[in-house]
Amino acid sequence: MSDVEHDPGVEAELNEVGRALYASFPQRSRNPVKALDARAMELASQDAELRAALFRFVDVTPACRSLDDLARHLSGYLNEVDAKPPPLEVAMRMAGTKPGRTALGAAAAGGVRHMAHRFIVGDSPRKALGILRELWEGGAASTVDLLGEATVTEAEADRYAARCAEALDTIAEAAPRWPERPQLEADSLGPLPRANLSVKVSALTPHIRPDAPALGRDDAARRMRPLLRKARDLGAHLHIDMESLDALETTMDLIFELLDEDEFREGPSAGLVLQAYLRESPNQLDSILAWARQSPRKPPLVVRLVKGAYWDHEIVEARQHGWETPVFEVKAECDRNYEQLTRRLLDARPAVRVAIASHNLRSISHAIAYNRHSGGEDRDLELQVLRGLGDELGYALAAQGQRVRVYCPVGDLVAGMAYLVRRLLENTSNESFLHEQAMGVPLEELLAAP
Amino acid sequence: MRPFANEPTLELRRAAARESLVAAMRDLDPQLPLAVPILVGRDRGAHEGFESTDPGEPDRVVATAGRATEADAAAAVEAAAAAFPAWRDIGARARADVLVGAAEILRSRRLELAALQVRECAKPWGEADGDVCEAIDFLEYYAREAVRLEHGPDLLQVPGERNSMRYEPRGVCAVIAPWNFPLAIPTGMTSAALAAGNSVVLKPAEQSPASALALVDALRDAGAPPGAISLLPGFGEVGAALVRDPRVHVIAFTGSSAVGLEIVRSSADTPEGQGHVKRVVAEMGGKNAVIVDSDADLDDAVPAIIRSAFVYAGQKCSAASRVLAHEGVADALLERLSGAVNVLIVGQADDFAIDVPPVIERDAQERVRRYAELAASDGRVVAQQPDIPANGWFCAPTLVTDLPPDSAVLRDEIFGPVLAVERVRSIAEACDALERSPFALTGGLFSRNPDTVAEVTRRTPVGNLYVNRHITGAMVGRQPFGGNRRSGIGSKAGGPDYLLQFVEPRVVTENTMRHGLVVE
Ligand SMILES: Cc1cc2nc3c(=O)[nH]c(=O)nc-3n(C[C@H](O)[C@H](O)[C@H](O)COP(=O)(O)OP(=O)(O)OC[C@H]3O[C@@H](n4cnc5c(N)ncnc54)[C@H](O)[C@@H]3O)c2cc1C
Repeated sequence: MSDVEHDPGVEAELNEVGRALYASFPQRSRNPVKALDARAMELASQDAELRAALFRFVDVTPACRSLDDLARHLSGYLNEVDAKPPPLEVAMRMAGTKPGRTALGAAAAGGVRHMAHRFIVGDSPRKALGILRELWEGGAASTVDLLGEATVTEAEADRYAARCAEALDTIAEAAPRWPERPQLEADSLGPLPRANLSVKVSALTPHIRPDAPALGRDDAARRMRPLLRKARDLGAHLHIDMESLDALETTMDLIFELLDEDEFREGPSAGLVLQAYLRESPNQLDSILAWARQSPRKPPLVVRLVKGAYWDHEIVEARQHGWETPVFEVKAECDRNYEQLTRRLLDARPAVRVAIASHNLRSISHAIAYNRHSGGEDRDLELQVLRGLGDELGYALAAQGQRVRVYCPVGDLVAGMAYLVRRLLENTSNESFLHEQAMGVPLEELLAAP
Repeated sequence: MRPFANEPTLELRRAAARESLVAAMRDLDPQLPLAVPILVGRDRGAHEGFESTDPGEPDRVVATAGRATEADAAAAVEAAAAAFPAWRDIGARARADVLVGAAEILRSRRLELAALQVRECAKPWGEADGDVCEAIDFLEYYAREAVRLEHGPDLLQVPGERNSMRYEPRGVCAVIAPWNFPLAIPTGMTSAALAAGNSVVLKPAEQSPASALALVDALRDAGAPPGAISLLPGFGEVGAALVRDPRVHVIAFTGSSAVGLEIVRSSADTPEGQGHVKRVVAEMGGKNAVIVDSDADLDDAVPAIIRSAFVYAGQKCSAASRVLAHEGVADALLERLSGAVNVLIVGQADDFAIDVPPVIERDAQERVRRYAELAASDGRVVAQQPDIPANGWFCAPTLVTDLPPDSAVLRDEIFGPVLAVERVRSIAEACDALERSPFALTGGLFSRNPDTVAEVTRRTPVGNLYVNRHITGAMVGRQPFGGNRRSGIGSKAGGPDYLLQFVEPRVVTENTMRHGLVVE
């Protein structure tokens, strides 16, 4: 079945699913970019220069020493924008005097903090517990992601590992007190852990070297093993995020190597990420499935399918070196590949568990429809969204009886900036589904085959 | 010719690319030592006189080379002078074809040539591959530049006269090259001279004769007349003889300040019978600093500074050796830099998993150690990677701070893995400090404030300023490279005005009016 590109039966089901989801969005969130309620975001999607100015500002905010300094940066960036909308002309005038700068700095800092809070659920796992519980009660599971600065030293890697351990303890301690949600706690293969942590390999070692993947693999492995043990003992799930291509070999080798070790045969539940924007992703899926099928491990590997968050980075990196771009350059090709991988993954069950992570209504509806069409149960498909970007979608999916997990970043503002800027860029990119949705592209088009 | 584009480096994040290099090394090793003859015109001289050895394993002889004498230098200049008129007269396009042909030959040998640098200079794989690509870039770029330059600039024309300007080659060019870019730098200077129509005598560094031979072979195999490109492996006395020779017109040199200034002095001498003033193009040392502003993103700054200072053990003229950190970030930066120095892996250049290879030779190792000791007594060493191999010319990467402003560690070019951090109260103070340095090669700035970027751009005299990135790795055609002040005389390598140094401009004005009639 999986080679059938657009099976009419699937397409019909898909349209139904998509319409139902769309209908259960709360009214205002049909326009999620506006729902961010920051007028700045709207302006940013329309004007590239302004967009650059605002993102540079968001990016530098935590590093500014004073409100005055903040305002100077803001006016510096706005200076480079040719056509300034009236509110920004006001800002520029304010930046001309010291008291004006203090006021402007305070307002702008407040704006950035406000935005950050939409995407970041708390500055520590403990402070995030309230939201995790709220999500759970509202019908959505979670996975916690600890934001951090880049890891360039041993001490930083050790600190990140300690934060992960602490997060596992904190969440696993709180989770048993959450009410029962049978829909989130088991699929047809068995129970699903309540506590779930996503980790980044590059944060666990200062030795990520694209030309020497074994170096980072071995160093990260020493910090990953205790985390796997802890997750196993606490009955929690550990998910390894995927980063840029430079870390891919290190990450994949690390996961396969560790999960094959005897002590992890019975657990914990663990997962990895497949990025559909990579041209080589179909081959990667071959190796993942080959590994999963021969592995004697009990808990099935969870594969989170994403499009990939480092698209611009990969393009620039390749162009600067004269390399072939490793990612698709046409969005529709990436989307088609995503659907193909979705089908292959769903067909590969029970060797793997499948998580579809996307905010694209078409991509998601396709997964749900294909699953149903090929005789799968809804509970054997997990749908994942990002806090702050996919909230309403998550609720709509939960309301439709789907199994949903929300990816919840935790950390302070400094640590969160890189993350926030990436999310903002994604949200205002012309090629983004959310952007199209916000621009009022009709539902038929949003659901059309890529 | 297709428009110039940089030769893509190998994508070393792919296992297959790494394996291709390892295989090339497997093929090369049994061939060592290579024999590097003296090549004067059509004559092939001795290839035994001195040795180049592997800095990481000094018992391994990489090449044996003939030791050229002053007599060889005289003969090579004579051959070059004889070959010059024909080489000049074939025109830019034909010369460009030879250069492009040589680029193709280097391209076909690139894995082997990268492996050779790993052995001969302990240049790590990625850097060695980059060096070979840069050599190819120089050949391709200057080939196109020569064709472009042949037309000369347009001049103002008025009725009754015809004005034209063109560039003519100068004559014999002596190229004196360093070992740290064993293929790229000799190729850059040689190909520029040749492209413009000069004939060349190449004196490579005594540490890396084998890479230079690959260049000369490629040029000759591609059709350069033997007299137009001679090879004189050897030591300082050969270089000095070339510089002194009254038949030499241009001296293109890259290397230390001391030697560069000596060349300038000696070439100024214009003995009776020398019908020209020598032109010197000299790329000399640096003492390169990175300024880190209080708003810098240390996630970016730390890896970029570490890379700029320690890759290839700090042996690039563009390498960072000072950091001027705003007091608002100095503590955090120092802590992260020292942690990053402590995780550097020192080891053999042929191991992909190392960060810092050995330095080139025993003298260099001793010099670096002296400065590291001085750093410890003048200031405070905050990180020093103690885990270094015993055999080979390895040096411990060192991070030092709290140095007095007059410390030699802050003043001299160390050319090794030693990095000093200084604290400044403002960016203006950082610029003042740079102002006092006689060197002005490269510089770096980490700041996210457009006004600061503008201020530093205006104030720093460096030839190449890099903002929010590492400060090494200039690319041909993208970052024309070269220093100001005592870092160099001459224009930017890999840039649009480099070839002008190897030519002399000539203007012809013809009266086109005859008895009141304009004859066009
Ligand atoms: C729960 C969750 C977890 C995630 N975890 C990870 C992770 O571990 N690693 C990771 O890399 N990403 C991760 N992501 C991010 C994800 O990869 C996407 O960037 C993001 O979800 C946007 O994709 P979309 O399907 O929601 O939206 P869409 O708007 O349909 O797709 C946008 C994506 O398409 C791709 N794209 C954009 N332009 C082009 C083009 N011209 N040609 C080809 N492709 C293009 C890019 O990947 C871009 O992000 C995660 C996302 C979620 C929801």
